[in-house]
Amino acid sequence: MLVHSRKARWALWTVFLVLFLPLFALPLLVVLGASFATHWSGVLPSGPTGANYRAATRGEALQALTTSLVTALTASVLALAAGTWAALAAAALGRRSRKAMDALFMLPVAVPSVVVGLAVLVAFSRPPMLLNGTRWIVITAHAVLVTAFAYQSVAAAITRLDPAYEQAAASLGARPGYVLWRVRLPLLLPSLTAAAGLCFALSMGELSATMMLYPPDWTPLPVLIYAATDRGALFTGSAIAVVLMAATLLVLLAVSRLRTRASYR
Amino acid sequence: MAEVAPQVRVVRGGSRPGGGSRRSHTAPRPYKPLLWALPPIALLGLVFLYPLALVVRQSFQPDTGGFSLQPYADVLASESFGRALWTTVWLAVAATAGCLVLGFLLALVIAFVPFPGARTVARFVDVYLSFPSFLITLALLFIYGGTGIVGSFRFLTTPWGVLLAEITYFTPFVMRPLLAAFSGIDTAQIEAAGSLGARAPRIVRRIILPEALPALAAGGSLVLVLCLNEFGIVLFTGAKGVTTLPMLVYGKAILESDYPGACVVAVVNVLISVGLYGLYRVVSRRAGA
Amino acid sequence: MAPAAPAAPAGIRFDGVTVAYHGTVVLDALDLTVEPGEVMALLGPSGSGKTTALRAVAGFVRPVAGRVLLGDRDVTDLPPHRRGIGMVVQQYALFPHMRVEDNVAFGLKARRTPKSEIRARVTEALELTGMAGYARRHPRELSGGQQQRVAIARALAVRPEVLLLDEPLSALDAQLRSGMLAELARLHRELPDVSILYVTHDQVEALTLADRIAVMDRARLRACGTPRELYRAPTDAFTASFVGGANLLPVTVRASGAEFAGTVIEVGTDGVAPGASATLCVRPHLVGLGDGPNRITGTLAELQWRGATHRLYVDVGGHRVMADVRELRQPPALGDEVALHFASEDAVLLPAGVAHG
Repeated sequence: MLVHSRKARWALWTVFLVLFLPLFALPLLVVLGASFATHWSGVLPSGPTGANYRAATRGEALQALTTSLVTALTASVLALAAGTWAALAAAALGRRSRKAMDALFMLPVAVPSVVVGLAVLVAFSRPPMLLNGTRWIVITAHAVLVTAFAYQSVAAAITRLDPAYEQAAASLGARPGYVLWRVRLPLLLPSLTAAAGLCFALSMGELSATMMLYPPDWTPLPVLIYAATDRGALFTGSAIAVVLMAATLLVLLAVSRLRTRASYR
Repeated sequence: MAEVAPQVRVVRGGSRPGGGSRRSHTAPRPYKPLLWALPPIALLGLVFLYPLALVVRQSFQPDTGGFSLQPYADVLASESFGRALWTTVWLAVAATAGCLVLGFLLALVIAFVPFPGARTVARFVDVYLSFPSFLITLALLFIYGGTGIVGSFRFLTTPWGVLLAEITYFTPFVMRPLLAAFSGIDTAQIEAAGSLGARAPRIVRRIILPEALPALAAGGSLVLVLCLNEFGIVLFTGAKGVTTLPMLVYGKAILESDYPGACVVAVVNVLISVGLYGLYRVVSRRAGA
Repeated sequence: MAPAAPAAPAGIRFDGVTVAYHGTVVLDALDLTVEPGEVMALLGPSGSGKTTALRAVAGFVRPVAGRVLLGDRDVTDLPPHRRGIGMVVQQYALFPHMRVEDNVAFGLKARRTPKSEIRARVTEALELTGMAGYARRHPRELSGGQQQRVAIARALAVRPEVLLLDEPLSALDAQLRSGMLAELARLHRELPDVSILYVTHDQVEALTLADRIAVMDRARLRACGTPRELYRAPTDAFTASFVGGANLLPVTVRASGAEFAGTVIEVGTDGVAPGASATLCVRPHLVGLGDGPNRITGTLAELQWRGATHRLYVDVGGHRVMADVRELRQPPALGDEVALHFASEDAVLLPAGVAHG
């Protein structure tokens, strides 16, 4: 233990709480509180109501929830497939080409999401790839944005994988494809599900690129939340935000359950 | 895999007398791994690199058509661009500094002065990362908004409100690599230093900080890039006074339909971010190696 | 189609095999032949190139020069999965996501062996290694020794001509190790056609198990011979000290023997000219305390009680001589003058210029 005196320890903990609670816990609590209220003019919200949630779980909002879920699911599956393929291919390359591939696939992290949105809008608004106005332009942009994260986590997992397994498999007469399918991918499964969860969460909350290119009939939750707050419906916006967080958390929880099962099998 | 699979012992009988051929020892089929790398690269090219190239092209094409530097001249000379550039950079730098200090302190307490529930807090940090950034601004709207708890609407429309939101949202991005790095520090080392009479600040400076430097560099540069690119936090403040480069891209493209102008700002923004990101990769490789 | 059973047992031949990483030679022109059905131990300290030699047979490192042959097949350019070998490594590398039976069946499934045959061969391999009762377990539910047996069963199930064992016992504790040694010896008796290349740094394992031992040091083959040859008549100082431990005494060759610290020791000097320097090798347990032939005297510098024996370190003319003797009722005190002796036929004269190893 770094600090031995009791007094100093308590002092540190107090500072920690004073910093941590208002900065990190408070925002979430505020949004949660507001989602059940109609007014907030004092220290606490007032006018408890469930109306915000009634509004947040039907009609437009319900459709936005499905839109977000479908978008995030499709985008993460695409990103995971592309990212895993790329990471596996990169692992087989020489040192220098691997570095180049790392840089290439991490590039979307460095490029502002708004610019990714603009680029996708510019590129897919003209033939031969006319996606503008369809849900696919949103899904494509999301997939581009989260592929980097899938690539990064899978690549990290591959370097952690003990080469003894694939070598044992090869010495037993298994071709590279068989080794990949029966040994490497199953061993990577926990990392793959973790990457999938990350991609899903990022896509669920994506706003920047989406604002650039969502068609009217494909409005994900973050856009709806912005629209609500923009017209002053802060309390409804909070309720939708809570729905967004809850949906994300539920999927993450399911994924982590799957992960524990995968690693204990 | 598209490889003909001869059975294990087909190649039998190809007896070769001893010293016959001691050559041909280059790696077999070196082009094959490259071939496997091509499909994902092509895909990335189609949905990311090619669109990005189109943005660059369009930034040289004013609405009147043809190739021209006019869009650059127009945008770079405009006052709004200069202000946005300045706001973006100083906000990002200040937010990064804030995140580094705050993240280091908090991670230090979680890792080395653990309290009951410290693990839960560490888990909470992980969950926090999976929420969208604009939630923070949404909450701040209630706290500092017109009728809010503190009730100074002015604050949110200034850059300081954005700064507070960015520090709040991005600090966990510094904490996570730090916590990972701290878990690699041998507690025996700290106990040994303590038993030799070193006081806490000295241990932090001499043992913990050097170990944490790569993580700080990595987390800090990531946060710097993310702050430069942040859009949701700024958008949700609804403040007209705070315009950053990503906001300018959005405004020009969607609100004003000035695509060449938007593309110019986008190119500048990408150059700054990618340049910094490249620098980060070089620095972190140095620090890591 | 399952690969046909090998027509004749195959050996392993290293033909000038050289391996280098980034310009550093880690295996230098190895010439070595493992006869069909033979157990060959590659013995050496870490960094001697013994594991590299094994990995060159398995196909995980590419020689920069030379050929590797299995039987009459040149496998130098074949990828590992087409070499038809069995391999067991130090940490076993059992697939953690598969049950024991699936681990053992892995190689057979990869070769598209018919289902019915897979079942029979898995049962056979598990029975051979005494693991028949554990087929449904996962590797993490097994002890180290059990995992070891499964790893061996997995390698044997594909009926390899050649079995490569890379420090297979070093992850086990001492007691399990001696049990597994006996088990490996039994396995080899039951599978007399399988050639085994056994990499180890432990001379006891090599002496116990191997038909022949190849001693490696700093990327080179130092000596190769039966355990008895290497132990009784080592040809160089490194082999002498690494296989069994030895006193390596600097001597000057005389007409009637070898002079060590002023005493002429009667030993065969054939081929060495009088006046030349040489090294005399005597095993500590063949050195006796008290008077006898080839008597040398010195002061007792160190005494270790090892239960059944005493190890004495005696300074003779500035050189330290070790002697292992049966436990002494009344051991001499440190600093006492003691006499040592050994039979002439227990001493071997080695070429000159070799210092203590």
